[in-house]
Amino acid sequence: MTSTSPEQSPLVALRDVNKTFGDIVAVEGITANIERCTSTALIGGNGAGKTTLLRLLAGVYRPTTGTAQFADGDLTQHRRRIGVMTESTGLHLRLTAWENIRFHARLFGMQDERSRQRSEALAVQLGLGGALDRRTEGFSRGMRQKTALIRALVHEPELLLLDEPTAGLDITSARAVRALIEALVDEGRGVVWSTHDLRAARVCERVMVMHNARLVADGRVNDLLEEHNTQSLEALYLELTSEATPEFQAGMEVGL
Amino acid sequence: MAIAQRELLDFVRDWRTILTMVLVPLLLFPLLFIGLPLVIGGEAQELAATEVEVLIRGDNVPLELIQNIENRSVIVTLGDPVEDRAVDDQAVRNGSLDLIVHWEENGEVYDVHLRHLSTSSLSTDARQRALLAVSEWEETERNRRVTEGGLNASSTLDPVRYNPSEEDLASQGEVQGWLLSSFIPLIVTVWVVTSAIQPAIDMTAGERERGSMEALLCAPARRWELLAGKWAAVSTIVLVGVMLQLGGLMFALTFLAGPSLLSTPDVGLGAILLLFVAIFAYSVMVVASELALAIRSKSVKEAGALLAPASLAVIVPAVVVQFINLDGVEAFWFAVPVVNVLLAMRELLLDQVDPTHTVIWLSTTLVYTGAALWYAQRQFNREDLVLSPS
Repeated sequence: MTSTSPEQSPLVALRDVNKTFGDIVAVEGITANIERCTSTALIGGNGAGKTTLLRLLAGVYRPTTGTAQFADGDLTQHRRRIGVMTESTGLHLRLTAWENIRFHARLFGMQDERSRQRSEALAVQLGLGGALDRRTEGFSRGMRQKTALIRALVHEPELLLLDEPTAGLDITSARAVRALIEALVDEGRGVVWSTHDLRAARVCERVMVMHNARLVADGRVNDLLEEHNTQSLEALYLELTSEATPEFQAGMEVGL
Repeated sequence: MAIAQRELLDFVRDWRTILTMVLVPLLLFPLLFIGLPLVIGGEAQELAATEVEVLIRGDNVPLELIQNIENRSVIVTLGDPVEDRAVDDQAVRNGSLDLIVHWEENGEVYDVHLRHLSTSSLSTDARQRALLAVSEWEETERNRRVTEGGLNASSTLDPVRYNPSEEDLASQGEVQGWLLSSFIPLIVTVWVVTSAIQPAIDMTAGERERGSMEALLCAPARRWELLAGKWAAVSTIVLVGVMLQLGGLMFALTFLAGPSLLSTPDVGLGAILLLFVAIFAYSVMVVASELALAIRSKSVKEAGALLAPASLAVIVPAVVVQFINLDGVEAFWFAVPVVNVLLAMRELLLDQVDPTHTVIWLSTTLVYTGAALWYAQRQFNREDLVLSPS
């Protein structure tokens, strides 16, 4: 019998996880490992359970039944390894972008000087350079999304949990955010990217498809296509979910 | 610490916060000490300069009395006695007359009736002027009668001499402390309760509503550490407000209050230090309680609807405390939440440091604060702090 060291074990291991809120079943029967250095696209329609799954991975929710095990055992240590970008950016609008990032980075024990350098570098990559010292109340939605993304990345997490990072963004902003995530994937950082956007699946190694609170597919894109004998992700998604959500169809119409 | 700093920076960035949390407490007492006397004095002067109309009905009304009344900016009209006073009363009610004096000679005494309207300032003032004139005339008449009887008017009418103002053993400073103890605890209580509501809601229910709570909960800090940061931030805001308020009060007492108003009280250093401890203990207890209630709420609106009436639970006992007699006060009062610290403040402003009372109010307040924080932490550990499962 061999033991697994924390560095070798998955960052999060979910085993038959169910999460309910009263009568509402948010996720059901989820068993999955979230590995280091693996990019995962978490796709599904509204209400499929993507956000709940992300919150379980972040340790914000505890499973109602089943287990969620973190590599470090300790939840606080686990959170040091992850960066989370929530669906609502959750910025303090009377603070500047930098102040929002700085106070968050301090919770990770970062010195201001280091977090400033890192923020400036990320801001340049995202096209937010020069706006770091402006109050976020005057920011567009795209600028707020970018600020929240920098905040999630500033402490260089091993795993990034992104909840709809490109939702509601214009084409240019969405492209900048996507390009940064692709760069993170390329440099081997773990990413779980929750989205309606099937383009995410094309840059990620792994796809998890959720439908009606259940994980209906989980694997490499090519393996899944082969397994289901389909040519495209769209066809695969439609086959797995039986019916496409209006949001998904809308996404398809803009050129997926 | 990072949480407290962020919350404080976010809070002071709002100019309305500066206005309500800094300027209002700082200027409250100076304005009260300058503005209120000015308004009251101005109104009194204006009233004194206003002529009032008085009808005097009766036979043989002394001329000296009529002249005395007229000398007080009163337009006097004389009339015959009447049986039915209803018509005259109506004139006072509709404001065409301010006062009617019925003068009736009844043997050696005079029956005087001053028909006035107590809800009218002019009518009340006319009555006051007439009363003063009647009193002066009465004194003259009394002296005349006593002298005519062959007696010394002064020793007969005023056989016992005393001067209460010179026989109080309390120093002026102690009296000032007693006066201050009647309203400072009340003002501090109300201020702490009301000023904590907005930041407590903003940093809990407000943060949930804005969606920033989830990002915070994903940070590598324990929930109690996050709560402690918020507690420290709200307590700082409240305590700064209270200190500014007390600073404004001391400034007003030292530099603005006239001799007829309040002056600096005689309170020893030990009592002053304990007074600050009492204010601190009370503030952190109230903040912990309000945070606990605000965290329970799912929205700012719900939190406001909960905290506004809940503040009455503090304000009502604060008013009641003003009527508790401190002489021989039972020790159990110093264990009752809110009441304990307010009574302590009153005692300390009287420069009374009772070790037993101090131990009771301090220890019980710490227990109540701990209980409120325990409850707040339980609420802060709830999963539904992050809403909208999907």
